[in-house]
Amino acid sequence: MTTSNKKNPYRGMFLTWLVLTIAGVIVSIYAPSRLMPRSMSDNMHLTVLTMIVFSVAAAPVAAGIYAFAIHALRHWTHKGEAVPAAGPVVRENAVVVTTWLLVSTLLTVFLLIWGLGALAVDNGSSSKNPLVVDVTGQQWVWSFSYPGTHVQSNELYLPVGREVEFRVTSDDITHGFWIANMGVQVDANAGTWTTIHTTPNQLGTFDIRCTQFCGLNHAFMVTQGHVVTAQQFTTWLDSQPQRA
Amino acid sequence: MTTTLEHTTTDAAPLGGGLARRQNMATALVGGVLFAWLFWFLAHHFLDASSRNYSDLVSVSLTIGWIIGFWLGIGALNAPARWMMGRDNTHADDMYLAGQNQGKARYWKYCTDHKVVGVQYIIMTMVLLGAGGILAMAIRTELIVPGNHFVDQQVYNGFIAVHGLLMILALIVAVAGPWGNFVVPIMCGARDMAFPRLNALSLWTLVGAAGLLLTTLAVGSLSMGWVVLEPIANQAGVGMDFFAMAVVVFTVSTTVAGVNTICTVLTMRTKGMTLARLPIFVWGAIIAAALGLYAFPYFALVEAQTIMDRTFNTSFFVASGGGTGWLQANLFWLMGHPEVYVILLPAVAALFEIASVMARKPVFSYRTAIAGMTGLAGLSILVWAHHMFTTGWAPTLGGPFMLTTELISIPTGLFFLVLIGTLWRGNIWMKLPTIWMFGFIANFIIAGVTGIYLSDIPIDNQLHGTMFVTAHFHYVFVGSVLFGAVAALAFWYPKVTGRFLNEFQGRIAFWLAFIGVQVTFLSMFLSGLRGMPRRYSSYALIFEHTNFITTVGAYMIMAGMLVLLGAVITSWNKGEPAGPNPWHANSLEWMVPTPPPLENFTVLPVITEDPYNYGEELVRS
Amino acid sequence: MSIDTHSAHDAHGASEGGHHEAPEVVDGRQRMGIWLFIGGDIITMSALLFTYLYLRGVNTGGHWRSMVGYIGHSYSYYQNATNLPAPSLVHVSTLSAGLNWSVSAIVVVSAAIIWAAERGLRASKNAKSYSTLAAVATIVTVLAIIFSIVQLRHIPQIYVAVNDSQTMSYTAYDSAMMVIIGSGILHLFILAFLGLGLTIRSARGVINGDKWYQARLVRMFWVWVAISAVIGSLVTTTIH
Repeated sequence: MTTSNKKNPYRGMFLTWLVLTIAGVIVSIYAPSRLMPRSMSDNMHLTVLTMIVFSVAAAPVAAGIYAFAIHALRHWTHKGEAVPAAGPVVRENAVVVTTWLLVSTLLTVFLLIWGLGALAVDNGSSSKNPLVVDVTGQQWVWSFSYPGTHVQSNELYLPVGREVEFRVTSDDITHGFWIANMGVQVDANAGTWTTIHTTPNQLGTFDIRCTQFCGLNHAFMVTQGHVVTAQQFTTWLDSQPQRA
Repeated sequence: MTTTLEHTTTDAAPLGGGLARRQNMATALVGGVLFAWLFWFLAHHFLDASSRNYSDLVSVSLTIGWIIGFWLGIGALNAPARWMMGRDNTHADDMYLAGQNQGKARYWKYCTDHKVVGVQYIIMTMVLLGAGGILAMAIRTELIVPGNHFVDQQVYNGFIAVHGLLMILALIVAVAGPWGNFVVPIMCGARDMAFPRLNALSLWTLVGAAGLLLTTLAVGSLSMGWVVLEPIANQAGVGMDFFAMAVVVFTVSTTVAGVNTICTVLTMRTKGMTLARLPIFVWGAIIAAALGLYAFPYFALVEAQTIMDRTFNTSFFVASGGGTGWLQANLFWLMGHPEVYVILLPAVAALFEIASVMARKPVFSYRTAIAGMTGLAGLSILVWAHHMFTTGWAPTLGGPFMLTTELISIPTGLFFLVLIGTLWRGNIWMKLPTIWMFGFIANFIIAGVTGIYLSDIPIDNQLHGTMFVTAHFHYVFVGSVLFGAVAALAFWYPKVTGRFLNEFQGRIAFWLAFIGVQVTFLSMFLSGLRGMPRRYSSYALIFEHTNFITTVGAYMIMAGMLVLLGAVITSWNKGEPAGPNPWHANSLEWMVPTPPPLENFTVLPVITEDPYNYGEELVRS
Repeated sequence: MSIDTHSAHDAHGASEGGHHEAPEVVDGRQRMGIWLFIGGDIITMSALLFTYLYLRGVNTGGHWRSMVGYIGHSYSYYQNATNLPAPSLVHVSTLSAGLNWSVSAIVVVSAAIIWAAERGLRASKNAKSYSTLAAVATIVTVLAIIFSIVQLRHIPQIYVAVNDSQTMSYTAYDSAMMVIIGSGILHLFILAFLGLGLTIRSARGVINGDKWYQARLVRMFWVWVAISAVIGSLVTTTIH
């Protein structure tokens, strides 16, 4: 039987919810960029921001569930060995159901609008002259070639600040082309091309990993990429052996 | 605890005499192996051994032989054969098939009593979970440190696929199998399912499918995840044929079970049991069954086409012939997404039931519960391509699929509303079912929220194919569905056995599993966020700490599951005795004796209200 | 808690056939079962046609009925051949969808026979003539099966290079046709089994003028198979 603390569960629950929400929001703001690889593109920056926004939106919801559970376990559990008596008979509460539906719909619509907006930004092609790189996956290596030159390489070099368009295909089965630092991922399929583009905005080295299970050495289908200055990029291109 | 049937001396069918009366799992296995060999032999004899597809053709023939022989051996084909010959079962035959006077032996046989089938499903669930769990431990043991030290890549890669399918099959049946069969007919006030022989068929077909799937481990050489993407599936060895045939056979089992459940609930409710008075669990069972009827044909077809590409060199998924792997992906995920709700809904509906009984309050907003489950099932048909956001297929459809996927969070949220509303200000009885239910609540919110991340395309571009996805769906399947399934087991265990599942051992198991889930899968989220793809047999050094923690957590879950298994086994005969209605609930299964007699009711009850009035004398005529 | 002694007189309706339940009740349940099964089959057919239309849709450039390889000889001929010319784009069109219409027509005829037989049984209560008609419908179904198998044997194979080996293969069009025809054959085998059962059961009088429910159940499924055959033919002949 609940004691005379009828009002207290709600106040305590509210306080718990508040504390958990604040903690959740703080974690949501600071964690994503620290837990994920260093952002090296505009895509990735937007992706991390989206994760922050989604986490902040989720924090009060999750906090509510946990606050409820904690306080239900503290105040509403039956003590003793006897069979518990019946609880209050509440079969319906139109106000609660409607409010819940309304809030969850609004939250969903907000996330959807943000997501579609981010998608539009990602897809918007800003540059008329992106650097095109052909990416070919095969069991179990990546190779990159630069149309317009005769350069082919197993490591990816990109000039900073210039939009790059990856045209991805496979020589055998489906692979997954993924640059974790840049938030770009697209499958490499045999017999067709897929494209994805981004603009690297940080110098440095990054990993390219295969995310589509491709057989025996899937776990070892990794190669390196480098974002370099425009000058260094030209130097590198010129120094590559020219394929006939 | 022996059944009340063992010593009746009414017009029971005479035991002995006739091959059909001696059929059981042993004869099924013999039949399966015999016909598997026969079909192998015939294929071997008539096919050109130098042909590129020889081994696949022979393997497929073998698997077809296996299931035909298995069905023959268990007696599943007796009734169709007799029907065709114009001989129908006599009443004595029917009572024999229902297991009358056969004691424990009937659990090994083709038994039409829905309660026997329910118990058989409990065993099958544990077998599948156990086998999948052993593989999970092998996988995590391999991943405890970088490098391939425990098993080599080839073996490891095979483990992943079989672990995946074993667990998926286990979870599809985990709640719907045991309780959809044991409890639902009684909840409706019926004497059995609509089609009792089909009921036995669905169970034994599952056993046959499981046999094929487990054989895959021995045959080996799988090269893809359980999703069986093409065109890589064409590279796999003959294990792939066993795997695909296991799926095809499984869809027969699940189709038959789905038809049975729906017909039972719609046509066999007792007088006064309107749809609005049905326990909410029954609603979950039929909505899940209907969704399964929609989804599983795609699964059978896509696996059949995979087999055809391998054995006949068709070009469904091979680019050089005009096919495309994207066709496979679409067909698969048309099944694959509704399928996760086929798995989830029975567990959620069972928890609604448990919440009500344990809080001593009616289900909050019964209508919302039904609307939520129905809405979820309906929407789930429209979201499948969110699994394909990064494939490069139809980028213009990304927005619409993002819309439908994010909308699904609304009916999912309603599940929380119903659970919370039911528990709100209740007199919550803290027994085993309740504890596992709270575990579900804590885990499901994480499962749901991380799904929302993945539904957003820019985030999915980053996280797809990483361990983040793996952690997300393990929070769904292990953290949520499995916890719901254990809650359901603890809840209805006294009805099956007449004893409580050991409370102390059950709590130990809970804490091990609950803490284990957080340790395992939270660290797995970190691995994914940091950049570790999934299905990796080894990994770079930057992932070693999170992987180590994940493996430690996995061992905790395993320990919890072993304790639970021990509890299930020992409580069966030695647990604390429970009366016929230990939870003082009102639905019909608690109104019949434990164990329920054959045909459940001496006199079919007439219902005048729903089962959610506690503390009052439930008025029945 | 009573020992189960009620079997002496109370309902055993749960067991198959439920002879203590009114036959109409059992039949209503079984009809629902047939409808649900047909529902699942509708999804299967949709998935088959999805495959066909999808492959057609992605192959506007011309790998629908064409493949780079050789045609005209057997596998062993190509295996042993030396100095083969360079493989060319082989366009195959010998497996026409028009044959699908022939099979569909046969299936429709068998469905018509079984439906007429059922109506006759309910009107005249003559189980023996029903049995004869059911036998005819069964034989017609077997004809359809034979026809379909003949169709399959005429699907052209093309000798191609796949990775580092050579094999016989099929175009996307022929692959889709194969799985549609194969599914059809499977359904026709089920019909043949059901038809045989109806023939024997009515010959024995188990199905008769008063107990015709099972005849209707089978007819429902039979008509569905005929409808699905027609839909399949329609799609494969209008979109090619």
